[in-house]
Amino acid sequence: MEQLVSQLGIDWKLLLSQAVNFALLLIVLRIFVYKPVLKLLHDRRAKIEGGLAKAEEAEKRLHEVDLIGKGKIKDAEHEAMGILKRTESDAKTLEEKLLAEAKRKEDEAVGATAVRLRTQEEESRRAMEKEAAALVKQALVRTVELAPDAIDDALIAKAVREAGAK
Amino acid sequence: MLQISLRAEDIFHIGGFPVTNAELLAVIVLVLLTVISITLRNRLKMVPDMLQNIAEVVLEGALGLMDSVLGSRKESEKYLPIVLTIFLFVLFSNWLGLVPGVSSIIVHQGEGSVPLLRSPASDLNFTLALALIAVTLVNVFGAAAIGLKQRVSVFFNFGSPIKFFVGILELLSEFARIISFTFRLFGNVFAGEVLLAIMALLVPYLVPLPFMFLEVFVGFIQAFIFGMLTLVFVALAVTPHEAAEAGH
Repeated sequence: MEQLVSQLGIDWKLLLSQAVNFALLLIVLRIFVYKPVLKLLHDRRAKIEGGLAKAEEAEKRLHEVDLIGKGKIKDAEHEAMGILKRTESDAKTLEEKLLAEAKRKEDEAVGATAVRLRTQEEESRRAMEKEAAALVKQALVRTVELAPDAIDDALIAKAVREAGAK
Repeated sequence: MLQISLRAEDIFHIGGFPVTNAELLAVIVLVLLTVISITLRNRLKMVPDMLQNIAEVVLEGALGLMDSVLGSRKESEKYLPIVLTIFLFVLFSNWLGLVPGVSSIIVHQGEGSVPLLRSPASDLNFTLALALIAVTLVNVFGAAAIGLKQRVSVFFNFGSPIKFFVGILELLSEFARIISFTFRLFGNVFAGEVLLAIMALLVPYLVPLPFMFLEVFVGFIQAFIFGMLTLVFVALAVTPHEAAEAGH
């Protein structure tokens, strides 16, 4: 057995040194490669996963904002339509009110004019009556003062003159 | 004159420890991988360069393969260092042994001359050391995962005569694993070296080239097999015995 081992070149010292070689390599690779590279791979994976989650969240929020925006626009359109309808209705009411006011003022003006005209007419009539009374009075006075024959002659003469002129 | 030696040749001694040509190349592999590792560590950043890309591809590939065997990424990351280190050490050792000039630099010693460098896996000490480490760690991981008592009960089970016999078979299979690990790698790489040496001796130009490609492939395959077998043995060892039986 010992001869076989010797023939194969197996030596515990060489065996030990090769084992030490391997152990050193294991330590070196563990410190300088496996640990840092695996950590980096984990970090990168976490970063990518985080980025993807954030992108998804951003997309979701964008969609929500889009929906909110659309809702707001719809509300604004509704509001605008409401304002327009209200304005139209207010305008109609105002127009009716103004028309009624105008009609009332017109009626008032017409009434006032009629009253004024009636007053003027009454005043004119009263003045005319007064003047007529004065004229009648004056005519009576003159009639009383003149001789009836003379008046008749004068009237006849005037009638003759007028007939002759024609 | 072609010299084929089963055992690695001593180049010099440090204290009482001999340094063989296979040992020397294993140290060169260690230094090379250390330099690459430190360079990689210093250049690590979120946006990778070419070296980091290669490292990430290798690590992700290894983890993906381990996931399919172990069933979870957490377990894969736990056992990645041992599996991938075995793979890389064997792979670089095999490929560096094929680099032109490695076996043609000769040093003269006393009565003869020997190559300065030799593929580490063509020395049984290298393959046996790796096999011992792999099988030992498999059992350590097994004991850590399912408990020492349960791990030991795999080999020493006095529940029934059949279980006892199965335990003895399991124990023998552990030694068989060491031997198969050792001689598979050693046999393939040593045979490849011999084949290349003979081809280079017979027809020095062009003809050895296809065999070089073959050895590059064999070097990768052997490293892969060593790593994969370690992984499979780890997966078997860390699975509780009842669960493994239920799985069958």
